[in-house]
Amino acid sequence: MEPFKRFLCLGCGFLYDEALGLPEQGFPPGTRWADIPDDWVCPDCGTPKRLFEMVEIEYAPGQPVA
Amino acid sequence: MQSFVLRAADRGYGRYVSTGPTSSYISGHPESVLTRHSSFNFHEYQEGRAGFGRIRVFGEEIFSGLGCGYNMHPHHNFIICAFVLRGCLTHINTLGKVDEVKAGDYYVFSAGSGGKHAELNIAGEDLRVIYIWFLPGKLLLPPSYRRTHFDAAASRNRLARLVGAPDGVLPIDQDVRVSRLVTDVAGTHVYRPRSGAHGTLCLRHRRRCPLRGRVSRPPGQHGAVGH
Repeated sequence: MEPFKRFLCLGCGFLYDEALGLPEQGFPPGTRWADIPDDWVCPDCGTPKRLFEMVEIEYAPGQPVA
Repeated sequence: MQSFVLRAADRGYGRYVSTGPTSSYISGHPESVLTRHSSFNFHEYQEGRAGFGRIRVFGEEIFSGLGCGYNMHPHHNFIICAFVLRGCLTHINTLGKVDEVKAGDYYVFSAGSGGKHAELNIAGEDLRVIYIWFLPGKLLLPPSYRRTHFDAAASRNRLARLVGAPDGVLPIDQDVRVSRLVTDVAGTHVYRPRSGAHGTLCLRHRRRCPLRGRVSRPPGQHGAVGH
């Protein structure tokens, strides 16, 4: 299986982690970025999906908090 | 080695007013105006460069009008630095800090696992500030806020490290440094990146002479941002 990826909103820094999904918006853990609708926007600042950047940055110790 | 030159006039430009559709985004008395020159792609401006190294946002902004600024809004992860060139910035954050950041002052706000801030020009005299956003070294770090002052007189004609290890005044959770040089004499100053893998972004700013007809040469300013 391809490793899960992380995407950062370039408008505010909101993080979407494929491993965690976004259950409160109906995207269960494991939801791939490609399966997030193109018209989805950052839940914090409204930045469109296309203005997220994939990042390969490790979590700080103790994160993510489940 | 790759290099590029970005001229001031080639940056993205945005003008936002505190009334109408942007009234919840932009604070301030009616008809307050916030202008932003973006060196890299940001919000509506997407025709330029994506960033430089760990830098994603580089904005030169002017807040004009009583209370003009950004209303309280959320961030994660980005390390946001503000360098006040003129006026007074009132910074309020959800770490419990209400700060007055005046000309020469600067702060490093690491949003980490989540924080909000408001950026306001309470006094109304035009506020001029440079914002730089860095990607963090780690995701969801504990949020933090640190601020200090750059003493232009004490650091005159000397390249001073403002941000970044090992000898920067303010630490930062990223492999970057920010330095500043204020000089009024011709000369050579050497900035050495830490390694061949580190790049250097140099911002050159020539201060306009504040007094018309003054004969003396206006001082120039240079800033260097390494990563």
